[in-house]
Amino acid sequence: MHDGGKATRVIGIRSAEQVLTKNMTTPDSAKDSLTSALNSNIIPNREYLLQGSVVDQYVEVLLHRLRGLCDNVDDGAETFYDHEMCFSLCMNSSGNPLVFPLRVRRALDAQDAPYQLRYIGQQELGDKNRPTIVRSSIDVACSASIVEFLQELGCRLDFEYTARGYMFRKGRMKITVSKICKCGGGNKPGENIELISQSYLVELSVLAPSGYDAIAEDMRVFAEQLKPLVHLEKIDYKRL
Amino acid sequence: MQQREEKQLESALDSIIQRVNDLKTSIAAMIYKVENEYETLNWPTFLDNFALLSGHLTSLSKILSHDKCPVLRNLTVLPLMLSPERDEQLAQLTEHRVTTFAHDLVPDYLRTKLEPLAENKMMQLEHKAATVAYENAQKQVAAYQKVVTHIWDIVSKAREEWDVESSARGNAQQHSSVSDTHLLVTAVGMGKGLKPVPNANGQPGQPAGSMMVAPQGRPGSASGQGQIPPATQTMTMNKAPSAIKTNIKSATQIHPYGR
Amino acid sequence: MGVTVLQQFPIVEQRTGPSTIELLTKRIVALGATQQGQFLVDCETYSSVPQLGAQKTVHVLHNSEQPATVFSILETGSKTIPLITDGLFDLLMMKMSNFYQSKKQTKVESKGPRFEIGDFSVKLGSVAVSQNFKGILVEVEYRPCIVPAMCWDLIREFLQGFLGSSVSSTPPPYLQNKMQEVYTPNDTIQQYLEHFTVYRKSHFKM
Repeated sequence: MHDGGKATRVIGIRSAEQVLTKNMTTPDSAKDSLTSALNSNIIPNREYLLQGSVVDQYVEVLLHRLRGLCDNVDDGAETFYDHEMCFSLCMNSSGNPLVFPLRVRRALDAQDAPYQLRYIGQQELGDKNRPTIVRSSIDVACSASIVEFLQELGCRLDFEYTARGYMFRKGRMKITVSKICKCGGGNKPGENIELISQSYLVELSVLAPSGYDAIAEDMRVFAEQLKPLVHLEKIDYKRL
Repeated sequence: MQQREEKQLESALDSIIQRVNDLKTSIAAMIYKVENEYETLNWPTFLDNFALLSGHLTSLSKILSHDKCPVLRNLTVLPLMLSPERDEQLAQLTEHRVTTFAHDLVPDYLRTKLEPLAENKMMQLEHKAATVAYENAQKQVAAYQKVVTHIWDIVSKAREEWDVESSARGNAQQHSSVSDTHLLVTAVGMGKGLKPVPNANGQPGQPAGSMMVAPQGRPGSASGQGQIPPATQTMTMNKAPSAIKTNIKSATQIHPYGR
Repeated sequence: MGVTVLQQFPIVEQRTGPSTIELLTKRIVALGATQQGQFLVDCETYSSVPQLGAQKTVHVLHNSEQPATVFSILETGSKTIPLITDGLFDLLMMKMSNFYQSKKQTKVESKGPRFEIGDFSVKLGSVAVSQNFKGILVEVEYRPCIVPAMCWDLIREFLQGFLGSSVSSTPPPYLQNKMQEVYTPNDTIQQYLEHFTVYRKSHFKM
């Protein structure tokens, strides 16, 4: 669900390339090229997700296994240290409360990296036959002014946290193993951090254009290989 | 009436013969496998063959116990003529297993009782049982029971130990905790446990404290804009005071949108 | 990426937009420029719905010079906050249509031929507010330099060379406060927005 700022950067670059190809001779309006990209279904705006956790003392075992299973064999796991702020834009429209959630993520260990703005839609659990959660997702790389921009736009900061851990890749799949910390009140993220659990959060996700449901099956198979260390499941947190 | 019974008998016999032939070919196939493919034969295929045999046996016994099947026990086979001569027709029928219909073979083939050896053994045992004294028999039963309970004890003790061991091993495999998973997922998903503690007004307490940190670099330095030359640094310094001012402002502006 | 100056070019009574562009094209080609495709800068403006309180405005601009980037400028009345993002921000704005609605009739764009001549690149843009021709914006970029103060005189001379006396000898107001700073693509966008806003207002007069 949360992308190491680094991980989403990859996505940002890809979508940039898609727009680039439409350049030079006839400068279509960006809206037109976006519409055509939408129509040809090349924008990765669906996220397939499985979640689980591993207790602290076994995280090394899990990392060892992931190193063996994933693509980053040579350079080992990539580490990340991100700060995520969750905003929402709310209003009452003729009695119906409308909420538009937006998340901002930035890498604390790579200060010059762009910030990441993210919209995550409602998660669809589907029936038993669907192996993963699916939810719509829009990832946008952006400048550091995004925080102020959102606040002035009318967004409210709901909560924030830091995630520090490791990221692996396996084909199109991304696996993050991270420690979630509460940001100490009034402190810089990274100071006075407060762990919220004795476990690492483990997430397996893929961003793909809609209709790439086959990837969900690959994820199920991969999740199977991590048992019994981690049980990656589709979790409906709204019902917990 | 007679005719109908005969017809019934004939059809029953036909189907029995067919099942027996099925059984026979499967057994032959299995024997062939064991003899010729013992190097490549794997256990699952062997078991598959076994299942096939057992299926044939089941269907055979079904036919025998079927209502329509005449009671074969009530029918007799009467050998009318015995001959030491080789009988070609018989040989063909039996795949050259039986070539003559002679005195020495017929009693064995048409026998309906137990084998003579087994019959003898049974008779001996029954005789022995009848002659044993009552007390003696009681003693033997008691002794036997003692042995059985002893073995029973050993088995159940072993089982208990195994249960404990496996449950202990199950605990050791507790690499992840469902409650921790739920805690983490609700935290990153909905901010459960991460939201600022509401203060007296019921408003979220200054939630944005950490957010007010002046972002590194200046706002204009965006993605994909290429390298920013070193000259930027002087500008960042120029900008710093204004960034701080802005941040104080935005802190006060949070409240209108607080709930 | 260098310093860019945006200059309005007046249209005299007897000329139309296309014929003015043609005139300028002839002049710049006579100076030795070669055409390098077309360019497009567009701007769409979104306003907050009344339920969100005091009205805020988001201008979303694209520049074919930075085809993978979306430039947004938020105006709250007291503050102006620029935001630079990648292309999917447009998708996000679509999703936000319950909160911020675009005013279709104010969609502005400037498009036309793009030339290169030595270290300069020149763009002759016809400005249209919701498809109605409004005027001509000439963009001149001096590419080897990134600090306006160091190349303003050169750009001014070049501009006056082919646009004539309509070019003022002082830098555009937006650049005046930023003469010593490093120039970024966002500064170009800011200049466009200022001009677009003026054109829009003229739209309401007509």
